Amino acid sequence: MSKGSQLVKPAGYTALVVFLVLVPLFIKGGYFLHILIMAGIAVILTSSLRTIATTGQISLAHSGFMAIGAYTSALLVRKLGLSFWASFPIGGIVAALVALLVGYPFVRVKRVYFAMLTLFMGAIIRLIIMEWRGLTRGTSGLLNIPPPDSIIIPGLVNIAFDSKVSYYYLILALALISLLFLYRIDSSRVGRIFLAIEQGDYVAESVGISVTNFKVLALCVGCFFAGIAGSFYAHYIKVLTPDSFGVLQAIYIIVYMVVGGRKKFYGAILGALTLTLLPEFFRVLKEYQPFVFVGILLVTIFLLPDGLVGLPDAVKPCIQRLRKVKISNA
Amino acid sequence: MLEIRGLTKQFGGLFAVNNLDMIVNQGEIAGLIGPNGAGKTTIFNLITGFIPPTKGQIIFKHSDISGKSTHSIAEKGLVRTFQQNVFLPDLTVQQNMLASCYLHPKTGFWEAILNTSSYRKKEQYVCDRTMDILKFLGLDSVNDELVQNLPHGYQRLLGIAIALSTNPKLLLLDEPLAGMNAAEVSESLTFINRIRSAGTTVLLVEHNMRAVMGLCDRIVVINFGRKIAEGLPEEIKRNKNVIEAYLGTSENAAGT
Amino acid sequence: MTVALLAQSILNGLAAGGIYVLVALGLTLVFGIMNIVQFAHGEIYMLGAYASYFLIKLFGFSFWEALPVSAIAIGLLGIVLEKFFFRPFRDRFEPSIIVAVALMVLLQTTAVVGFGTDTKSMGGIIPGVLSIGGVTLSWDRLLGILVGIILVVALFLLIQKTKIGQAMVAVSQDPYAAALQGIDVNRISSIAMAVGCALAAIAGSLMGSIFSTSPFMGTSAITKGIAVIILGGLGSIPGAVAGGLVLGLIDGLVPPLLSSTMAGIVGFGVIIIVLLFRPTGFFGHE
Repeated sequence: MSKGSQLVKPAGYTALVVFLVLVPLFIKGGYFLHILIMAGIAVILTSSLRTIATTGQISLAHSGFMAIGAYTSALLVRKLGLSFWASFPIGGIVAALVALLVGYPFVRVKRVYFAMLTLFMGAIIRLIIMEWRGLTRGTSGLLNIPPPDSIIIPGLVNIAFDSKVSYYYLILALALISLLFLYRIDSSRVGRIFLAIEQGDYVAESVGISVTNFKVLALCVGCFFAGIAGSFYAHYIKVLTPDSFGVLQAIYIIVYMVVGGRKKFYGAILGALTLTLLPEFFRVLKEYQPFVFVGILLVTIFLLPDGLVGLPDAVKPCIQRLRKVKISNA
Repeated sequence: MLEIRGLTKQFGGLFAVNNLDMIVNQGEIAGLIGPNGAGKTTIFNLITGFIPPTKGQIIFKHSDISGKSTHSIAEKGLVRTFQQNVFLPDLTVQQNMLASCYLHPKTGFWEAILNTSSYRKKEQYVCDRTMDILKFLGLDSVNDELVQNLPHGYQRLLGIAIALSTNPKLLLLDEPLAGMNAAEVSESLTFINRIRSAGTTVLLVEHNMRAVMGLCDRIVVINFGRKIAEGLPEEIKRNKNVIEAYLGTSENAAGT
Repeated sequence: MTVALLAQSILNGLAAGGIYVLVALGLTLVFGIMNIVQFAHGEIYMLGAYASYFLIKLFGFSFWEALPVSAIAIGLLGIVLEKFFFRPFRDRFEPSIIVAVALMVLLQTTAVVGFGTDTKSMGGIIPGVLSIGGVTLSWDRLLGILVGIILVVALFLLIQKTKIGQAMVAVSQDPYAAALQGIDVNRISSIAMAVGCALAAIAGSLMGSIFSTSPFMGTSAITKGIAVIILGGLGSIPGAVAGGLVLGLIDGLVPPLLSSTMAGIVGFGVIIIVLLFRPTGFFGHE
């Protein structure tokens, strides 16, 4: 590989990051920034779900783990006066610990049953939040969650979280760090082990891989980031109700992942962004807007079996055919 | 190296393996044969921890491994191949090998995530070692082929290559020659001998009698979960019980 | 807890359970036997309710006239959906989830757009309550249970005693082997879907009449339905009955003692524990 082509990829990524950093300069409306922020949350959720899915386990409890992170962080700040910067990683850690607790019994069952177990797990988490009113205020909602403490470096920096712009940069930073971490897992030996577990767990076990331990590892890592996303969400929206974390939301995250395409790492990102951003362009349709979502889903599954990441491969033969027609017409 | 005492496995009322005593000595190629349904694969599953024994002990290198998990047994150096072969069908040969190089050398989680230089060195070592094993088995030419596109004989060899990447002290081969033609069989026999010369003890289950007689130093014969004979190939060939066991079923003892 | 309250709670629980069974029957046929990941089944149930509603309100049908018409219409809709949406993805799990979610959103949005988000009332079926001893049960709910029993028996007989039913079982166990035996897998899938959707329509009409009708009634139905059939075992009709009654009893007994949210927690907790020890549920098979 020549030096020139080796630089293309990192240059491309840098340009992308620069573009993302400059976005708030072009977008003035608070609503559009809100959509981007929610898209950022979706990206973290979908990518972390994908990491769990690389071991073949489809988790329907992801919104529940997001809830654990959200409520943990919110309550630590409100009741114990902790700073957001301490509470939000703890939110992720608590989510990961719960995953560890249920992980060992859950990962031992067949994949289909794992999906069902996580379905009910997610439902139970939501119900526990509703029931434990003394702690979570139940369906009335946990209100007045404080924003993150301002980042102050005397003389240099004073970033207050009083406008959407600050939140945008925060979620951008969180997303980039999370994606970097998850990407490193995926492209390293750990990712190979996950893949081996999905496709041949007998053989993986016989070359010394403890399938159970690694499945739990994948689950804990994925749920950690779900918790982080939840913590951010809590301090951004500032109100938490159990209905934001139901099974339907968990199913949507799975839809984002599958539509984007599970095989490649960026598929999760692509799916999350497409399905949260594209329908927004059709807001004029008002109550007909969900049809756009339906349309994207149907087009994808009927035309692109591998998800959106399969688009280049699907389009190649068409381009080749066009080229042949051009040549024969010349 | 491997000692089995009184191994028994019951499924409900059925004895799949009944009070089996057996040893495998270091450095030998031992054969485990018997008519179909005699319990050979069950014995493999018991030795490698896929199923727990009902009774009895399995002792490997002086430590009791009965009932331990497959991956910890593999860590100790006891590894098997499978009858149904394909590991990661959608990936190439090399990717399969890279995925199976887990035990040697081991890396930590954080080491891998942070892509430290020690991790990168280990990954390079894995890459090189993978190529060495593939060359050893004559598979280096198909390095970049998708496993599902490989001819059957190559897939079986890949199964052995995957097992070899764990640096096993004792290798259990489950019908390594199944479905191979004569040329592939003779090639594989050479490889198995080479594996033994390189320091790995081998225990194999096979139906190809000619190959077994020619290859193995010692043979154990099983029928209905019990050992019915044990000894050198010439002794086994002449053993009345063995001949009866095979002729009594639809299996022919003279060849496959 | 007094004896009277206990008795009433048990009765309420059995009545609730009867309704859960009703909802789960169609689902166990489609999901459990035909292995169609039909998350949109709740929406079918909702459309059945609306079909009856419009037949009653706009065309002056009585409830008993509307019920079979709704069932047949929704059954036909099911045939169309199976052919165009589910059949192309029959053997693929992840695309099936997507198509089911797409249908769910599609049907629910159509209902919201077409019928409005407010809840509608069909009027009950039989007014009044039945009182024996200290316990009461509304006639409507009793009717729901009776219809449920009839449908359970009918479906059971269909599966066990008819050629079509046996063909469905064969397809559910091994579609390729069934095809080799000369079974037209496509035709059987259509029939199963039609029956399943008709059952959903009947359940929806009953529920819509006893309670109320809204575009969102399908969501809670499908949640309950899936819980019932997983607990009872996918594809098992006795399982659907057992699962429905167990969850119904929990929903009858726990709320007076603790709360209705706790009933949900206990219910799902029971399912998780059962799944950990017996993943196939009460009567499921693998």
